[in-house]
Amino acid sequence: METRIRLLLLSIAVAACSGCASMHWPWHHPKPDAASTASAGTGDVDAPPPSVIEPQVERRQVKVPKISAKDIELGAYYGELSIQDFGAQPVEGGRLDYHISEDLFVEATYGRAKGGRTSYELLSGNVQLLSDAERRFTYYNLSLGYNLLPGEVFIGRNLAMTSALYMIGGIGNVQFAGDQNFAVNFGAGFRVLPTDWLALHIDVQDIVFKSNDIGIYQLKNNLQATIGATVFF
Amino acid sequence: MLALCALSLAMTPARGAHELLQLFITQPYLELHTGPGRGYPVTQVVARGESVDVLFRRTDWFKVRTERGVEGWASAGELTLATLADGTQFKVNMGDRAGFASHRWESGVFAGNYAGATLISAYGALSITDNLKLEVGASQYTGNVSDGELAEIGLAHVFMPEWRFSPLVDLGTGYRWVQPKATLATPVDRSDEVGYYGAGARFYLTRRFFLRGDFRKYVVFTRTNENEVNEEWRLGFGFFY
Repeated sequence: METRIRLLLLSIAVAACSGCASMHWPWHHPKPDAASTASAGTGDVDAPPPSVIEPQVERRQVKVPKISAKDIELGAYYGELSIQDFGAQPVEGGRLDYHISEDLFVEATYGRAKGGRTSYELLSGNVQLLSDAERRFTYYNLSLGYNLLPGEVFIGRNLAMTSALYMIGGIGNVQFAGDQNFAVNFGAGFRVLPTDWLALHIDVQDIVFKSNDIGIYQLKNNLQATIGATVFF
Repeated sequence: MLALCALSLAMTPARGAHELLQLFITQPYLELHTGPGRGYPVTQVVARGESVDVLFRRTDWFKVRTERGVEGWASAGELTLATLADGTQFKVNMGDRAGFASHRWESGVFAGNYAGATLISAYGALSITDNLKLEVGASQYTGNVSDGELAEIGLAHVFMPEWRFSPLVDLGTGYRWVQPKATLATPVDRSDEVGYYGAGARFYLTRRFFLRGDFRKYVVFTRTNENEVNEEWRLGFGFFY
Protein backbone atom coordinates (compact mmCIF):
# COMPACT_ATOMS: atom_id res chain seq x y z
CA MET A 1 0.00 0.00 0.00
CA GLU A 2 2.75 2.36 1.05
CA THR A 3 4.63 1.53 -2.17
CA ARG A 4 1.55 2.45 -4.27
CA ILE A 5 1.21 5.82 -2.57
CA ARG A 6 4.92 6.52 -3.15
CA LEU A 7 4.54 5.61 -6.83
CA LEU A 8 1.52 7.92 -7.19
CA LEU A 9 3.32 10.91 -5.59
CA LEU A 10 6.40 10.29 -7.69
CA SER A 11 4.39 10.21 -10.93
CA ILE A 12 2.61 13.52 -10.01
CA ALA A 13 6.01 15.16 -9.33
CA VAL A 14 7.40 14.00 -12.69
CA ALA A 15 4.30 15.24 -14.54
CA ALA A 16 4.52 18.62 -12.83
CA CYS A 17 8.19 19.05 -13.76
CA SER A 18 7.57 18.29 -17.41
CA GLY A 19 4.64 20.79 -17.45
CA CYS A 20 6.82 23.51 -15.96
CA ALA A 21 9.24 23.24 -18.82
CA SER A 22 6.59 24.35 -21.35
CA MET A 23 5.61 27.45 -19.33
CA HIS A 24 7.23 30.91 -19.77
CA TRP A 25 8.53 31.93 -16.41
CA PRO A 26 9.99 35.41 -15.99
CA TRP A 27 13.44 33.96 -15.40
CA HIS A 28 13.18 31.82 -18.45
CA HIS A 29 14.99 33.25 -21.52
CA PRO A 30 14.56 31.05 -24.55
CA LYS A 31 17.51 30.97 -26.85
CA PRO A 32 16.94 32.44 -30.29
CA ASP A 33 16.55 29.75 -32.83
CA ALA A 34 18.99 29.36 -35.60
CA ALA A 35 16.69 30.68 -38.37
CA SER A 36 15.99 34.01 -36.69
CA THR A 37 19.65 34.48 -35.82
CA ALA A 38 20.56 33.91 -39.42
CA SER A 39 17.95 36.38 -40.77
CA ALA A 40 19.04 39.06 -38.32
CA GLY A 41 22.58 38.59 -39.37
CA THR A 42 21.84 38.95 -43.08
CA GLY A 43 19.42 41.98 -42.69
CA ASP A 44 16.34 40.25 -44.16
CA VAL A 45 13.63 42.83 -45.00
CA ASP A 46 10.84 40.34 -44.26
CA ALA A 47 11.82 40.15 -40.63
CA PRO A 48 9.38 41.66 -38.13
CA PRO A 49 10.43 45.17 -37.00
CA PRO A 50 12.08 45.43 -33.61
CA SER A 51 9.70 46.42 -30.87
CA VAL A 52 9.67 50.17 -29.99
CA ILE A 53 9.20 51.47 -26.48
CA GLU A 54 5.68 52.91 -26.20
CA PRO A 55 5.83 56.45 -24.72
CA GLN A 56 3.84 56.71 -21.53
CA VAL A 57 3.56 60.54 -21.73
CA GLU A 58 0.02 61.86 -22.12
CA ARG A 59 -0.65 64.79 -24.50
CA ARG A 60 -0.79 68.10 -22.68
CA GLN A 61 -4.33 69.46 -22.46
CA VAL A 62 -4.41 73.21 -23.15
CA LYS A 63 -7.26 75.14 -21.62
CA VAL A 64 -8.10 77.86 -24.14
CA PRO A 65 -8.83 81.13 -22.32
CA LYS A 66 -11.76 83.09 -23.71
CA ILE A 67 -10.69 86.00 -25.90
CA SER A 68 -12.71 89.06 -25.01
CA ALA A 69 -14.32 90.73 -28.01
CA LYS A 70 -14.45 94.51 -27.76
CA ASP A 71 -16.92 95.17 -30.56
CA ILE A 72 -19.50 97.25 -28.69
CA GLU A 73 -19.32 101.00 -28.15
CA LEU A 74 -21.48 102.78 -25.60
CA GLY A 75 -21.41 106.48 -24.97
CA ALA A 76 -23.00 109.90 -25.00
CA TYR A 77 -22.95 112.98 -27.19
CA TYR A 78 -23.76 116.65 -26.95
CA GLY A 79 -24.18 119.32 -29.59
CA GLU A 80 -26.53 121.53 -31.48
CA LEU A 81 -29.69 120.51 -33.31
CA SER A 82 -31.29 122.91 -35.74
CA ILE A 83 -35.00 122.13 -35.53
CA GLN A 84 -36.61 123.50 -38.68
CA ASP A 85 -38.64 126.62 -37.88
CA PHE A 86 -37.86 126.28 -34.16
CA GLY A 87 -34.24 127.42 -34.03
CA ALA A 88 -30.96 125.73 -33.17
CA GLN A 89 -31.03 124.18 -29.75
CA PRO A 90 -28.70 122.12 -27.57
CA VAL A 91 -29.11 118.37 -28.03
CA GLU A 92 -27.90 115.50 -25.88
CA GLY A 93 -28.11 111.80 -26.44
CA GLY A 94 -26.72 108.33 -26.07
CA ARG A 95 -25.42 105.88 -28.61
CA LEU A 96 -24.80 102.16 -28.79
CA ASP A 97 -22.70 100.75 -31.63
CA TYR A 98 -21.86 97.21 -32.63
CA HIS A 99 -18.96 96.68 -35.02
CA ILE A 100 -19.77 93.79 -37.32
CA SER A 101 -16.62 93.94 -39.42
CA GLU A 102 -13.74 96.36 -39.88
CA ASP A 103 -15.92 98.16 -42.43
CA LEU A 104 -19.47 97.96 -41.11
CA PHE A 105 -21.19 98.83 -37.87
CA VAL A 106 -24.74 99.27 -36.67
CA GLU A 107 -25.77 102.07 -34.38
CA ALA A 108 -28.74 102.91 -32.18
CA THR A 109 -29.05 106.48 -30.90
CA TYR A 110 -31.48 108.29 -28.68
CA GLY A 111 -31.44 112.05 -28.41
CA ARG A 112 -33.49 114.90 -27.08
CA ALA A 113 -33.67 118.64 -27.47
CA LYS A 114 -36.23 121.36 -26.92
CA GLY A 115 -37.53 123.51 -29.76
CA GLY A 116 -37.30 127.28 -29.38
CA ARG A 117 -39.73 129.91 -30.61
CA THR A 118 -40.46 130.39 -34.28
CA SER A 119 -39.89 133.72 -36.03
CA TYR A 120 -43.65 134.17 -36.19
CA GLU A 121 -43.95 133.74 -32.42
CA LEU A 122 -41.10 136.14 -31.78
CA LEU A 123 -42.54 138.82 -34.03
CA SER A 124 -46.17 138.55 -33.01
CA GLY A 125 -45.68 138.93 -29.30
CA ASN A 126 -47.62 136.55 -27.13
CA VAL A 127 -48.57 133.87 -29.65
CA GLN A 128 -47.72 130.26 -28.66
CA LEU A 129 -47.88 127.73 -31.51
CA LEU A 130 -46.91 124.83 -29.28
CA SER A 131 -47.12 124.13 -25.60
CA ASP A 132 -43.96 123.64 -23.58
CA ALA A 133 -44.37 119.85 -23.59
CA GLU A 134 -44.96 119.78 -27.36
CA ARG A 135 -41.66 121.57 -27.98
CA ARG A 136 -39.73 118.56 -26.72
CA PHE A 137 -37.93 116.96 -29.62
CA THR A 138 -37.02 113.35 -28.90
CA TYR A 139 -35.79 110.88 -31.46
CA TYR A 140 -34.19 107.52 -31.97
CA ASN A 141 -32.32 106.18 -34.98
CA LEU A 142 -31.28 102.72 -36.10
CA SER A 143 -28.44 103.14 -38.55
CA LEU A 144 -25.87 101.29 -40.57
CA GLY A 145 -22.42 102.82 -40.79
CA TYR A 146 -19.53 102.30 -43.15
CA ASN A 147 -15.93 103.17 -42.26
CA LEU A 148 -15.14 104.94 -45.50
CA LEU A 149 -11.69 106.30 -44.70
CA PRO A 150 -9.94 104.41 -41.92
CA GLY A 151 -6.56 105.79 -40.95
CA GLU A 152 -4.38 107.20 -38.26
CA VAL A 153 -4.10 110.56 -36.57
CA PHE A 154 -0.72 111.76 -35.37
CA ILE A 155 -0.10 114.16 -32.52
CA GLY A 156 3.56 115.09 -32.31
CA ARG A 157 6.28 112.50 -32.94
CA ASN A 158 5.27 109.79 -30.52
CA LEU A 159 1.50 109.56 -30.52
CA ALA A 160 -0.50 107.81 -33.25
CA MET A 161 -4.19 107.09 -32.86
CA THR A 162 -6.38 104.98 -35.11
CA SER A 163 -9.29 106.83 -36.66
CA ALA A 164 -12.03 106.53 -39.25
CA LEU A 165 -14.23 108.82 -41.28
CA TYR A 166 -17.55 107.06 -41.62
CA MET A 167 -20.80 107.46 -43.48
CA ILE A 168 -23.98 106.61 -41.64
CA GLY A 169 -27.63 106.32 -42.53
CA GLY A 170 -30.75 104.80 -41.11
CA ILE A 171 -34.34 105.07 -40.06
CA GLY A 172 -35.97 106.16 -36.86
CA ASN A 173 -38.69 108.10 -35.18
CA VAL A 174 -39.06 111.71 -34.09
CA GLN A 175 -41.53 112.90 -31.53
CA PHE A 176 -42.19 116.59 -31.88
CA ALA A 177 -45.16 118.95 -31.74
CA GLY A 178 -47.23 116.25 -30.05
CA ASP A 179 -46.79 113.89 -32.97
CA GLN A 180 -44.80 110.79 -33.86
CA ASN A 181 -43.02 110.90 -37.19
CA PHE A 182 -41.13 108.31 -39.18
CA ALA A 183 -37.68 109.75 -39.85
CA VAL A 184 -34.70 109.07 -42.04
CA ASN A 185 -31.23 110.07 -40.90
CA PHE A 186 -27.97 110.31 -42.81
CA GLY A 187 -24.64 111.93 -42.30
CA ALA A 188 -20.97 111.45 -41.63
CA GLY A 189 -18.73 111.26 -38.63
CA PHE A 190 -15.16 111.04 -37.52
CA ARG A 191 -13.98 108.66 -34.82
CA VAL A 192 -10.58 108.73 -33.18
CA LEU A 193 -9.33 106.29 -30.55
CA PRO A 194 -6.82 107.72 -28.05
CA THR A 195 -6.71 104.27 -26.41
CA ASP A 196 -8.04 100.86 -27.41
CA TRP A 197 -11.13 101.30 -25.25
CA LEU A 198 -12.00 105.00 -25.68
CA ALA A 199 -13.29 106.73 -28.81
CA LEU A 200 -14.04 110.39 -29.47
CA HIS A 201 -16.60 111.31 -32.12
CA ILE A 202 -17.58 114.30 -34.20
CA ASP A 203 -20.82 113.76 -36.09
CA VAL A 204 -22.99 115.71 -38.50
CA GLN A 205 -26.36 114.29 -39.42
CA ASP A 206 -29.60 115.35 -40.99
CA ILE A 207 -32.79 113.98 -39.48
CA VAL A 208 -35.57 114.27 -42.03
CA PHE A 209 -39.25 113.68 -41.48
CA LYS A 210 -42.59 114.73 -42.91
CA SER A 211 -44.80 116.76 -40.62
CA ASN A 212 -48.06 118.67 -40.76
CA ASP A 213 -47.60 120.63 -37.56
CA ILE A 214 -48.65 123.85 -39.32
CA GLY A 215 -51.53 122.27 -41.20
CA ILE A 216 -49.78 121.22 -44.40
CA TYR A 217 -47.37 118.32 -44.94
CA GLN A 218 -43.80 119.51 -45.15
CA LEU A 219 -40.45 117.80 -45.27
CA LYS A 220 -38.52 118.93 -42.21
CA ASN A 221 -34.73 118.92 -42.24
CA ASN A 222 -33.11 118.97 -38.85
CA LEU A 223 -29.34 119.26 -39.00
CA GLN A 224 -27.38 118.14 -36.03
CA ALA A 225 -23.69 118.57 -35.14
CA THR A 226 -22.39 116.79 -32.06
CA ILE A 227 -19.26 115.75 -30.24
CA GLY A 228 -19.22 112.62 -28.12
CA ALA A 229 -17.25 109.96 -26.37
CA THR A 230 -17.76 106.22 -26.29
CA VAL A 231 -16.23 103.31 -24.48
CA PHE A 232 -15.45 100.00 -26.20
CA PHE A 233 -16.28 96.81 -24.35
CA MET B 1 -20.21 113.31 -18.74
CA LEU B 2 -19.20 112.42 -15.18
CA ALA B 3 -21.11 109.17 -15.48
CA LEU B 4 -19.27 108.46 -18.71
CA CYS B 5 -15.90 109.08 -17.02
CA ALA B 6 -16.87 106.75 -14.19
CA LEU B 7 -17.97 104.17 -16.71
CA SER B 8 -14.78 104.50 -18.68
CA LEU B 9 -12.69 104.07 -15.51
CA ALA B 10 -14.65 100.96 -14.69
CA MET B 11 -14.08 99.66 -18.19
CA THR B 12 -10.29 100.13 -18.08
CA PRO B 13 -8.84 96.73 -18.91
CA ALA B 14 -6.99 95.20 -15.98
CA ARG B 15 -3.84 93.93 -17.63
CA GLY B 16 -2.65 90.58 -16.44
CA ALA B 17 -5.81 90.10 -14.42
CA HIS B 18 -6.87 87.20 -16.60
CA GLU B 19 -5.07 84.45 -18.43
CA LEU B 20 -4.13 85.21 -22.03
CA LEU B 21 -4.16 82.79 -24.90
CA GLN B 22 -0.69 81.96 -26.19
CA LEU B 23 -0.34 81.14 -29.87
CA PHE B 24 2.71 79.75 -31.67
CA ILE B 25 3.52 80.96 -35.16
CA THR B 26 3.88 78.15 -37.70
CA GLN B 27 3.89 80.19 -40.91
CA PRO B 28 7.16 81.88 -42.01
CA TYR B 29 6.10 85.06 -40.21
CA LEU B 30 3.06 86.83 -38.77
CA GLU B 31 2.47 90.44 -39.77
CA LEU B 32 1.47 92.93 -37.09
CA HIS B 33 -0.44 96.02 -38.22
CA THR B 34 -0.70 99.32 -36.35
CA GLY B 35 -4.52 99.19 -36.38
CA PRO B 36 -7.41 96.77 -36.76
CA GLY B 37 -7.77 97.04 -40.54
CA ARG B 38 -6.22 95.76 -43.75
CA GLY B 39 -4.88 99.18 -44.71
CA TYR B 40 -2.89 99.88 -41.55
CA PRO B 41 0.86 99.56 -42.12
CA VAL B 42 2.81 96.50 -41.01
CA THR B 43 5.51 97.60 -38.59
CA GLN B 44 6.43 94.31 -36.91
CA VAL B 45 6.68 90.65 -37.82
CA VAL B 46 6.76 87.63 -35.56
CA ALA B 47 8.99 84.81 -36.80
CA ARG B 48 8.10 81.13 -37.04
CA GLY B 49 8.41 79.34 -33.73
CA GLU B 50 7.86 82.47 -31.65
CA SER B 51 4.68 83.03 -29.71
CA VAL B 52 2.20 85.84 -29.13
CA ASP B 53 -0.29 86.52 -26.35
CA VAL B 54 -3.77 87.42 -27.57
CA LEU B 55 -5.03 90.46 -25.64
CA PHE B 56 -8.49 90.95 -27.15
CA ARG B 57 -10.44 90.88 -30.37
CA ARG B 58 -12.12 93.62 -32.43
CA THR B 59 -14.22 92.32 -35.32
CA ASP B 60 -11.81 90.10 -37.30
CA TRP B 61 -8.63 91.52 -35.80
CA PHE B 62 -6.74 90.47 -32.71
CA LYS B 63 -4.54 92.68 -30.59
CA VAL B 64 -1.49 90.59 -29.69
CA ARG B 65 1.69 91.03 -27.67
CA THR B 66 4.93 89.41 -28.77
CA GLU B 67 7.54 87.78 -26.52
CA ARG B 68 9.50 91.04 -26.71
CA GLY B 69 6.49 92.98 -25.42
CA VAL B 70 5.61 94.62 -28.76
CA GLU B 71 1.87 95.02 -29.36
CA GLY B 72 0.13 95.03 -32.72
CA TRP B 73 -2.90 93.85 -34.63
CA ALA B 74 -3.04 90.50 -36.44
CA SER B 75 -5.81 89.46 -38.78
CA ALA B 76 -7.97 86.46 -37.93
CA GLY B 77 -7.10 84.92 -41.30
CA GLU B 78 -3.39 84.89 -40.48
CA LEU B 79 -3.83 83.86 -36.86
CA THR B 80 -5.74 80.74 -37.86
CA LEU B 81 -2.41 79.44 -39.19
CA ALA B 82 -0.97 79.57 -35.66
CA THR B 83 -1.21 76.72 -33.18
CA LEU B 84 -1.99 76.37 -29.51
CA ALA B 85 0.58 75.05 -27.05
CA ASP B 86 -0.67 71.49 -27.60
CA GLY B 87 -0.06 71.74 -31.36
CA THR B 88 -3.71 72.01 -32.41
CA GLN B 89 -4.81 74.63 -34.92
CA PHE B 90 -6.25 77.91 -33.60
CA LYS B 91 -9.83 78.27 -34.78
CA VAL B 92 -11.76 81.52 -35.18
CA ASN B 93 -15.47 81.76 -35.78
CA MET B 94 -15.83 84.47 -38.42
CA GLY B 95 -19.37 83.61 -39.43
CA ASP B 96 -20.19 81.34 -42.35
CA ARG B 97 -23.00 79.30 -43.91
CA ALA B 98 -22.66 76.66 -41.20
CA GLY B 99 -23.17 79.40 -38.60
CA PHE B 100 -26.18 80.67 -40.53
CA ALA B 101 -27.72 77.19 -40.41
CA SER B 102 -26.93 76.64 -36.74
CA HIS B 103 -26.50 79.46 -34.24
CA ARG B 104 -27.65 80.39 -30.77
CA TRP B 105 -28.72 84.03 -31.10
CA GLU B 106 -29.81 86.34 -33.88
CA SER B 107 -31.18 89.86 -34.07
CA GLY B 108 -32.19 92.32 -36.72
CA VAL B 109 -34.03 95.46 -37.74
CA PHE B 110 -36.78 95.99 -40.28
CA ALA B 111 -38.60 98.73 -42.09
CA GLY B 112 -42.05 98.09 -43.47
CA ASN B 113 -45.73 98.79 -43.38
CA TYR B 114 -48.34 98.00 -40.73
CA ALA B 115 -51.95 98.58 -41.76
CA GLY B 116 -50.89 101.41 -44.08
CA ALA B 117 -48.60 103.03 -41.52
CA THR B 118 -44.80 103.20 -41.74
CA LEU B 119 -43.20 100.61 -39.51
CA ILE B 120 -39.84 100.27 -37.77
CA SER B 121 -39.18 96.99 -36.05
CA ALA B 122 -36.41 95.19 -34.19
CA TYR B 123 -36.24 91.61 -33.01
CA GLY B 124 -34.06 89.15 -31.17
CA ALA B 125 -34.29 85.37 -31.35
CA LEU B 126 -33.01 82.43 -29.36
CA SER B 127 -32.60 79.16 -31.24
CA ILE B 128 -34.30 76.29 -29.43
CA THR B 129 -33.26 74.03 -32.30
CA ASP B 130 -31.85 74.92 -35.72
CA ASN B 131 -35.44 74.98 -36.99
CA LEU B 132 -37.32 76.47 -34.08
CA LYS B 133 -36.67 79.98 -32.71
CA LEU B 134 -38.15 81.88 -29.82
CA GLU B 135 -38.55 85.46 -31.03
CA VAL B 136 -39.14 88.70 -29.17
CA GLY B 137 -39.90 91.86 -31.13
CA ALA B 138 -40.77 95.51 -30.70
CA SER B 139 -42.21 97.76 -33.39
CA GLN B 140 -43.32 101.32 -33.79
CA TYR B 141 -45.57 102.61 -36.53
CA THR B 142 -46.56 106.10 -37.56
CA GLY B 143 -49.66 106.62 -39.64
CA ASN B 144 -51.93 109.43 -40.74
CA VAL B 145 -54.71 108.41 -38.38
CA SER B 146 -52.82 106.95 -35.46
CA ASP B 147 -49.43 106.00 -34.15
CA GLY B 148 -48.68 102.95 -32.14
CA GLU B 149 -46.30 100.41 -30.73
CA LEU B 150 -46.29 96.64 -30.79
CA ALA B 151 -44.50 94.23 -28.49
CA GLU B 152 -44.67 90.56 -29.31
CA ILE B 153 -43.32 87.14 -28.48
CA GLY B 154 -43.65 84.10 -30.67
CA LEU B 155 -42.19 81.07 -32.34
CA ALA B 156 -40.68 80.89 -35.80
CA HIS B 157 -40.10 77.66 -37.67
CA VAL B 158 -37.38 77.72 -40.33
CA PHE B 159 -37.96 74.94 -42.83
CA MET B 160 -34.50 74.43 -44.30
CA PRO B 161 -32.02 76.35 -42.14
CA GLU B 162 -29.10 74.98 -44.16
CA TRP B 163 -30.43 76.51 -47.39
CA ARG B 164 -29.16 79.92 -48.40
CA PHE B 165 -32.77 80.94 -49.03
CA SER B 166 -34.73 79.44 -46.17
CA PRO B 167 -38.47 79.98 -45.73
CA LEU B 168 -40.10 80.26 -42.33
CA VAL B 169 -43.49 80.55 -40.68
CA ASP B 170 -44.22 82.28 -37.41
CA LEU B 171 -46.94 82.49 -34.80
CA GLY B 172 -47.16 84.58 -31.68
CA THR B 173 -48.95 86.97 -29.41
CA GLY B 174 -48.36 90.39 -27.92
CA TYR B 175 -49.74 93.82 -27.13
CA ARG B 176 -50.49 96.86 -29.22
CA TRP B 177 -50.68 100.38 -27.91
CA VAL B 178 -52.43 102.96 -30.09
CA GLN B 179 -52.26 106.75 -29.86
CA PRO B 180 -54.78 108.28 -32.28
CA LYS B 181 -53.74 111.59 -33.80
CA ALA B 182 -54.84 114.58 -31.78
CA THR B 183 -56.83 115.91 -34.73
CA LEU B 184 -59.44 113.17 -34.26
CA ALA B 185 -62.67 114.04 -32.47
CA THR B 186 -62.19 111.78 -29.45
CA PRO B 187 -58.58 110.72 -29.17
CA VAL B 188 -58.36 107.90 -26.67
CA ASP B 189 -55.20 105.91 -26.09
CA ARG B 190 -55.85 102.23 -25.87
CA SER B 191 -54.01 98.94 -25.59
CA ASP B 192 -55.17 95.62 -26.97
CA GLU B 193 -53.92 92.09 -27.04
CA VAL B 194 -52.87 90.84 -30.46
CA GLY B 195 -52.14 87.52 -32.08
CA TYR B 196 -50.22 87.07 -35.31
CA TYR B 197 -49.33 84.48 -37.87
CA GLY B 198 -47.21 84.85 -40.93
CA ALA B 199 -44.58 83.62 -43.29
CA GLY B 200 -41.22 84.89 -44.38
CA ALA B 201 -37.81 83.99 -45.62
CA ARG B 202 -34.16 84.48 -44.78
CA PHE B 203 -31.37 84.90 -47.31
CA TYR B 204 -27.72 84.51 -46.30
CA LEU B 205 -25.57 87.40 -47.51
CA THR B 206 -22.06 87.04 -46.09
CA ARG B 207 -20.20 86.52 -42.82
CA ARG B 208 -22.83 86.98 -40.08
CA PHE B 209 -25.35 88.87 -42.22
CA PHE B 210 -28.62 87.83 -43.73
CA LEU B 211 -31.66 89.50 -45.25
CA ARG B 212 -35.07 88.75 -43.89
CA GLY B 213 -38.56 89.53 -45.06
CA ASP B 214 -41.87 88.79 -43.35
CA PHE B 215 -45.55 89.05 -44.10
CA ARG B 216 -47.86 88.82 -41.12
CA LYS B 217 -51.55 88.99 -40.31
CA TYR B 218 -52.38 90.53 -36.95
CA VAL B 219 -55.65 89.87 -35.18
CA VAL B 220 -56.30 92.63 -32.64
CA PHE B 221 -58.64 91.51 -29.86
CA THR B 222 -60.46 94.80 -29.41
CA ARG B 223 -63.09 95.64 -26.82
CA THR B 224 -65.67 96.08 -29.54
CA ASN B 225 -67.74 93.24 -31.00
CA GLU B 226 -65.49 92.75 -33.98
CA ASN B 227 -61.82 91.93 -33.93
CA GLU B 228 -59.55 94.04 -36.07
CA VAL B 229 -57.37 92.31 -38.66
CA ASN B 230 -54.28 94.09 -39.95
CA GLU B 231 -51.60 93.16 -42.41
CA GLU B 232 -47.92 93.83 -42.00
CA TRP B 233 -44.96 93.39 -44.30
CA ARG B 234 -41.41 94.19 -43.41
CA LEU B 235 -37.96 93.81 -44.87
CA GLY B 236 -34.66 94.13 -43.10
CA PHE B 237 -31.40 92.53 -42.23
CA GLY B 238 -30.22 90.47 -39.35
CA PHE B 239 -27.03 89.02 -38.02
CA PHE B 240 -26.35 85.90 -35.99
CA TYR B 241 -23.82 85.18 -33.27
